[in-house]
Amino acid sequence: MASVDLALATISFKRKIAYKTTWLFSVLFGGWSLLAGLAVWSNLIGDGEMGGYDWQAMKAYLIVGFLTSTLAWAGSDWEMANRILDGLVAVDLTKPVDFQRARAGEYIGGMAASVPAAILGTAAAVLIFRPAPPDSALAAVLTVVSVLFIFPLAFGITYLSVLTCFVTQRYLGIQWARDTMLAFFSGMMVPLALMPLWLQGVAWALPFVHFTTTPASIYLGRVDTAGALGLLAAEAAWAVGLWVIGRLIWSQLVKKVTVHGG
Amino acid sequence: MAVDVSGSRHAFGVYRRSIGAYLRSIAEYPADFWVMAVSGTFWQIMLFAFLTILFGNVSTIDGWGYHEMLVLAGFLATSWSSTALLWDGIWDTGKMIVEGDMDYRITRPAPVLVQVGSKHVGMQVFGEATLGLVMLGIGWTGAGLGLGAVPTGLFLLLCAIVIQASLLTIANAANFWMKGRTPIIAFMVTELQNEAMRFPLTIFPAAVRLVLTFGLPLAFASFVPAQILTGRLDAWWLLAPPIAAAASAAVAVWVFRMGLRAYDSAGH
Repeated sequence: MASVDLALATISFKRKIAYKTTWLFSVLFGGWSLLAGLAVWSNLIGDGEMGGYDWQAMKAYLIVGFLTSTLAWAGSDWEMANRILDGLVAVDLTKPVDFQRARAGEYIGGMAASVPAAILGTAAAVLIFRPAPPDSALAAVLTVVSVLFIFPLAFGITYLSVLTCFVTQRYLGIQWARDTMLAFFSGMMVPLALMPLWLQGVAWALPFVHFTTTPASIYLGRVDTAGALGLLAAEAAWAVGLWVIGRLIWSQLVKKVTVHGG
Repeated sequence: MAVDVSGSRHAFGVYRRSIGAYLRSIAEYPADFWVMAVSGTFWQIMLFAFLTILFGNVSTIDGWGYHEMLVLAGFLATSWSSTALLWDGIWDTGKMIVEGDMDYRITRPAPVLVQVGSKHVGMQVFGEATLGLVMLGIGWTGAGLGLGAVPTGLFLLLCAIVIQASLLTIANAANFWMKGRTPIIAFMVTELQNEAMRFPLTIFPAAVRLVLTFGLPLAFASFVPAQILTGRLDAWWLLAPPIAAAASAAVAVWVFRMGLRAYDSAGH
């Protein structure tokens, strides 16, 4: 990583933690979703199981979902969108820094600000709720790797959604549509195993599935080692693919930029 | 008294013109309108799909059948989208405080709260309300509720809108004391409602039920109305939502006024 990438990531990190009250409440935010999910699924599963998840496994699934969603929604997407909406992108074009790389640095810096909270929250949830342990030590390691892939994946998806700001005046609707797709197709709202087969097929064909279903499946041993490695390869492929798609779309959309007075 | 009537009429006039101006401005940006409307629809489709998937695996959720759950989810979506239609500007409170825009509002000859609340319309409501009404309609018919229950439903919907708008006002007014433009408390109230109130409140521990009923009266904006409509609560419970609405509106006005007193212009 070049020093400029690190500098941009550091600035973004510091900006995120500057507003400490906001930062603290954003952690409580995810905690509430986890508690609500635990209450709902405890009631639904009881002593039985649903979609192959008993109560212990579902607790682990929800805690993995809490960890990944805390990370995934912590990036600096509004800052990125506002650069396009406010026209600052015109200034960015004059700088000797690649736009996509610079935004990636800032975005991942923002995500990094949520790491301590995500780890503390997850540790507290594990101690309080005692979920199922990882299927094996190897499964635990591979789960960590799959969670790390969320950083480039979250940036890739967010960057593509932010690029639509070249053709709209507001970012909010785009953000909602993206977050809704992420919540549903990742399996955060309802595990994929409960969906009809055709919908599972759709979900597996999209990158969102790797935000919850992939790490949870590896952690719980719902896929064997070869399957886990396959899922990690799919995550890597999506990370590269989204980067390339982002670059191609940028090259077309940047032609829409009009510099006033130019 | 005459002054009060005249003041209320002036405030309503300001509100009507402000909302009207924004609705006209929507026509200038059709792409934004459609993006927002589609994204609003999208969330409700996902919620509909979520319930349908869930009920493909279970027959009831704590005694609530599929159609009763659709009444609950549809009522929530319709009331929430109506609130966004009528009072969405309140979400800009934090931003207006940080950017100094609140100074401008204070100097104008109109109630500040009305100016802020009517600043814009949540364009997503056009999609949300459509799907909300679809869910409510399917649930209403499937649960065997007749046309006779429609006036009660509309009355409860009105109370729900007042409660939600009041809670959002209180939550956004917290930004008068907190640093940062993000309305984080309002996000939390929204999240609380989205996560908890789309399920029967009875599945949560007693402490959560008490907080969501008598602390933050979100239950009176969805769960209690759905229980009244589906005949799970006696008719005298109809008194509770208007009382909750009046109390929360009074607290909202008071908190916002306190916030304005604590406001010391841009930059804190």
